[in-house]
Amino acid sequence: MRPDVAKLFDLSGQVAVITGGCGLLGFRHAEVIAAAGGIPVLVDLGWTDPAGRAREISDRYGGKALGCSADITSPADVQALLATVLAEFGTVDILINNAANNPKVEASTGGGWSRLENFSLVMWEADIAVGLTGAFLCSQVIGAEMARRTKGVIINVASDLALISPDQRLYHQEGVRPDDQPVKPVTYSVVKTGLIGLTRYLATYWADRGVRVNAISPGGVYDGQPQEFVSRLQQLIPLSRMARVDEYQGAILFLCSEASSYMTGTNLVIDGGRSTW
Amino acid sequence: MNLAATSLFSLEGRTALLTGASGFLGRTFARTLLSNGARLVAVGRSERLDGLAAEWAKDFGAERVRSHRVDMYDLTAFSALLDEIVTSESAIDVLVNNAHELGPNSGFNSPDGTLENAPIEHWMRHVTAGLFWPALTVQKVGPLMKEHERGSIVNISTMYAQVSPDPRLYEGTSFVNPPGYSSAKAGMVAFTRYVASFWGSYGIRANAILPGPFSNTEEAGPNSVDPADPFLIRLRAKTSLGRTGQAHELAGALLFLASEASSYVTGHALSVDGGWTAI
Repeated sequence: MRPDVAKLFDLSGQVAVITGGCGLLGFRHAEVIAAAGGIPVLVDLGWTDPAGRAREISDRYGGKALGCSADITSPADVQALLATVLAEFGTVDILINNAANNPKVEASTGGGWSRLENFSLVMWEADIAVGLTGAFLCSQVIGAEMARRTKGVIINVASDLALISPDQRLYHQEGVRPDDQPVKPVTYSVVKTGLIGLTRYLATYWADRGVRVNAISPGGVYDGQPQEFVSRLQQLIPLSRMARVDEYQGAILFLCSEASSYMTGTNLVIDGGRSTW
Repeated sequence: MNLAATSLFSLEGRTALLTGASGFLGRTFARTLLSNGARLVAVGRSERLDGLAAEWAKDFGAERVRSHRVDMYDLTAFSALLDEIVTSESAIDVLVNNAHELGPNSGFNSPDGTLENAPIEHWMRHVTAGLFWPALTVQKVGPLMKEHERGSIVNISTMYAQVSPDPRLYEGTSFVNPPGYSSAKAGMVAFTRYVASFWGSYGIRANAILPGPFSNTEEAGPNSVDPADPFLIRLRAKTSLGRTGQAHELAGALLFLASEASSYVTGHALSVDGGWTAI
């Protein structure tokens, strides 16, 4: 057997639904799928302009791409999304549960809203709805369709914070009262850890239906965060740096393609080594 | 960054050192590295390596293949060979620690290999192969990797670093999976994290692959399994995917970890086990 790299990672004609497809990482997932010959479907809220972002991808990579406005916390929206994808392409092969609320607390000016004591039930429910309920609904609707077709891949985008707790000292602001110090919200840890459980559950649930399910656990991506925050975070990472925005694309392509045909139920950690020490 | 898979996962211009190159999985790893652009420095023990190296040279070019036969348990000879390799190579970009002893000498498929019986000779063969060989290659290759501020170390461990073999799999068969194997391979994962942690700032990454059941059904030998053996039915039943893996199904994982496609992955143990450990 001589593994041919292009063939091993080829996604020609495969339709990939990506939730949060217009986000910082979601758009990058869509890019690498298009580069491998697949058809990305960027799912996001209307104001993020999924149709326009999908056009950007088809212009750049030459293949098809689709943008869909949908609220993944709504069962009706997710059903309509599947109907649109099937009407357009006749198949669905890949689901990437990537959407999550992730407020930029590292650039927060305080106020303490993110602190556990102050965290509102409304915000808790909203974060759980997008990160967990959305992944559940998309898996229930789109994953079940793939199971019916006995072929599919689901990738859940978790986080290094599914493995370790946030280090709240990273978010510390000089001159802010302790009770007003910003923190990484509790929902982020809960959502991301929950996705690992969902991954294992779905992997065994659909193993006999040809649907493989894996998670990735990315670390923080550099995106213009304050220098103070970046230099604190770098010290927590053996590779001594945050990730570049393009460094998760290899993992996405690996897990979407036949290159990972014997992998299911795993969590691929991509954190520069942060959780190893 | 070029997102074409041929570029993202390419090993063009890289030199890879692979141990256990003539073994069941090693042969597939060798071809995986070569067919994706790497130069290969292959280290192995058996005579078969000579024939394989000749085949590889024919298929990929003689300048892309170097092979060395050595008994890695002869630590003086192995150490001298590594010195010779790192002196003559200008770079080693990828190091794959794949060699292990999977025969009766380390207690595999042998009545004296069990938990009750395993003698110190078996234990030391596991500890030497699973821990000291990688430690020695890492030590020898480390300076070159540090000099180039680049290196990917891939240690081939096993799912048995994470879960125990299930004794019911072996009941009524002549197969024995000795305790030293799980123990040394679990240590190998700890060693992987250690290297990742201590050398991360030099741009050196270290990861492990935890293969599930990849039974050698392709040939007859001390660690092969007859395709019709009921033992295989038990193995299949324990995976989620309902089948054992085929050697080429590790190629993607190796390429991912060896190449820039995994540039932010270090200290990780990548399971390729058909869902064995998910359930």
